[in-house]
Amino acid sequence: MKGLMNYFPGDTFLHRMDPRSKILFSLLICIACFVTNDLYVLLGVFVLDLLIGVFGGIFKQALKLLKGLLKIAVFLFILQALVVCTGEPAFYIGKLAITWDGLKTALLGVLRLIDITLPLALMISLTRMSDLSNAMVSRWHVPYKYAFAVTSAIRFIPVFTTDLNGIMEAQTARGVEFDTRNFFKKVGLIVPLCVPLLISSVKKIETAAMAVELRGFNLRTKDSSSKVAKFRLPDYLLLLLGLGLIVLTVLL
Amino acid sequence: MITFEQVSFGYIEEGSTLKDLSFTIEKGSITALIGANGAGKTTLAKLIRGLIRPTSGRILFNGKDISRMKTSTLAAHMGYLFQNPDRQICKNTVGEELDFTLEKTVPEEAERERRKAEVLEALQLDPEGEPFLLSRGERQKIALASALVHRPELLILDEPTTGLDYKECTQIMEYVKILNQQGVTVVMVCHDMEIVLDYSDHVIVMHDGRITADGLTRTILRDAKVLAASALLPPQIIGLSALLQADGYTGFEEVCTVDEMTACVEAYRREA
Ligand SMILES: Nc1ncnc2c1ncn2[C@@H]1O[C@H](COP(=O)(O)OP(=O)(O)OP(=O)(O)O)[C@@H](O)[C@H]1O
Ligand SMILES: [Mg+2]
Repeated sequence: MKGLMNYFPGDTFLHRMDPRSKILFSLLICIACFVTNDLYVLLGVFVLDLLIGVFGGIFKQALKLLKGLLKIAVFLFILQALVVCTGEPAFYIGKLAITWDGLKTALLGVLRLIDITLPLALMISLTRMSDLSNAMVSRWHVPYKYAFAVTSAIRFIPVFTTDLNGIMEAQTARGVEFDTRNFFKKVGLIVPLCVPLLISSVKKIETAAMAVELRGFNLRTKDSSSKVAKFRLPDYLLLLLGLGLIVLTVLL
Repeated sequence: MITFEQVSFGYIEEGSTLKDLSFTIEKGSITALIGANGAGKTTLAKLIRGLIRPTSGRILFNGKDISRMKTSTLAAHMGYLFQNPDRQICKNTVGEELDFTLEKTVPEEAERERRKAEVLEALQLDPEGEPFLLSRGERQKIALASALVHRPELLILDEPTTGLDYKECTQIMEYVKILNQQGVTVVMVCHDMEIVLDYSDHVIVMHDGRITADGLTRTILRDAKVLAASALLPPQIIGLSALLQADGYTGFEEVCTVDEMTACVEAYRREA
């Protein structure tokens, strides 16, 4: 399955940039989104996110991701709009007042959620995990074991998704109603599957650990990587953009 | 029992994995799906089971369009063995694993117990065995047992014999054959041409998402051209008879089994 957090190969300038700057940039955007309370900044960041998708050649994936996020966003929006009840009422549902403040907070919350999820997910889709861990090891002196653990964890997300889908398929084949339209029923059915999924995951990880051990995992030093990560002009520009965004949000 | 009418399927929007398939699987037959890795056998098997829906065309099960039926309710009529047995196993003991299938498909308690006992006996499984601690071959057998314990009308097996030793292999195939004689229609994906020859009566050859041949096992497996085009080798006995034929010996045109080969050679010896 090609989906969230998977590497999408390509040769755009975003692909070629230093992995560190891409990750740092996403983090800077995250910070900016948390600092700001300005609707226009958040909208601007949203456009920026889409631009990353366009320049990285993964606009379609970005839209797919957005579609997934929207489901959570709608939920979040309704929740926030109901909970916040200060300010002028905009309209009433029965006796419950939905206020302008509530609507605005909800909108900000939803935009913030989308704005911080998209860049990181997109940047990860544009970065080879091995490049990232190599850069972290050789430049930031992160111990290789930790870098490897982090990158493997991310790498395993799609593997588990495929596994879960396969298990659900197998259950449907044996008469469990995974093909139901009822969302809550479906969630109820997934819960008991966690045990077999966990067992198979632990087994898989154990095998993977043995496999890397056999391939000389412990012989690796920080200079073992063949690719050298280096900050170039675009990297500095990107980081400058991120920093600029934070400064802007603080000033506003 | 199963009819495909110009069925196409693709995992992604652009490009299709299976292209324009039309064929029929007769009630009471054992049909083997053969073809190279990635030819689309598993995809086809999942389409038959209703786990995935065709992007175009219709699939009929006993005359009814299966796209209109719920996959989970079809469970009582169809059994499916996955290529990866671990996907299927979800309980802590073999007995519970079989109960899991039976609960949803067989209403009467007594009937459930009877079928469970029969399958445990036939496949020599221990009901208290813990699937996750057993070997791969043993897990394969458990998965198979849980796919057929409720005696479905149609049994779909994705590589039932992969990873099994010779004895186990014969054991499960003999049991599948018995079920077939009792009226269960079988579709199986198989890479072992000897098993295809020994147990199936029909063969569907797949190559690159298309069906390149469809017919009686004995006819198809003799067709060197079709097999070669799909990167398949004929069973040894057929290969041998083809070689003898090429050398000018006659009477080997129909030879498909060791017994038939022996009889033919005997006839030659008597002549000489
Ligand atoms: N979930 C999936 N998503 C996308 N593509 C898939 C998926 N499953 C299979 N494919 C593709 O469909 C094609 C056919 O796969 P399929 O599993 O049907 O082959 P197969 O004939 O069963 O092969 P094998 O003998 O190795 O089991 C392959 O090219 C594969 O890459
Ligand atoms: Mg397969």
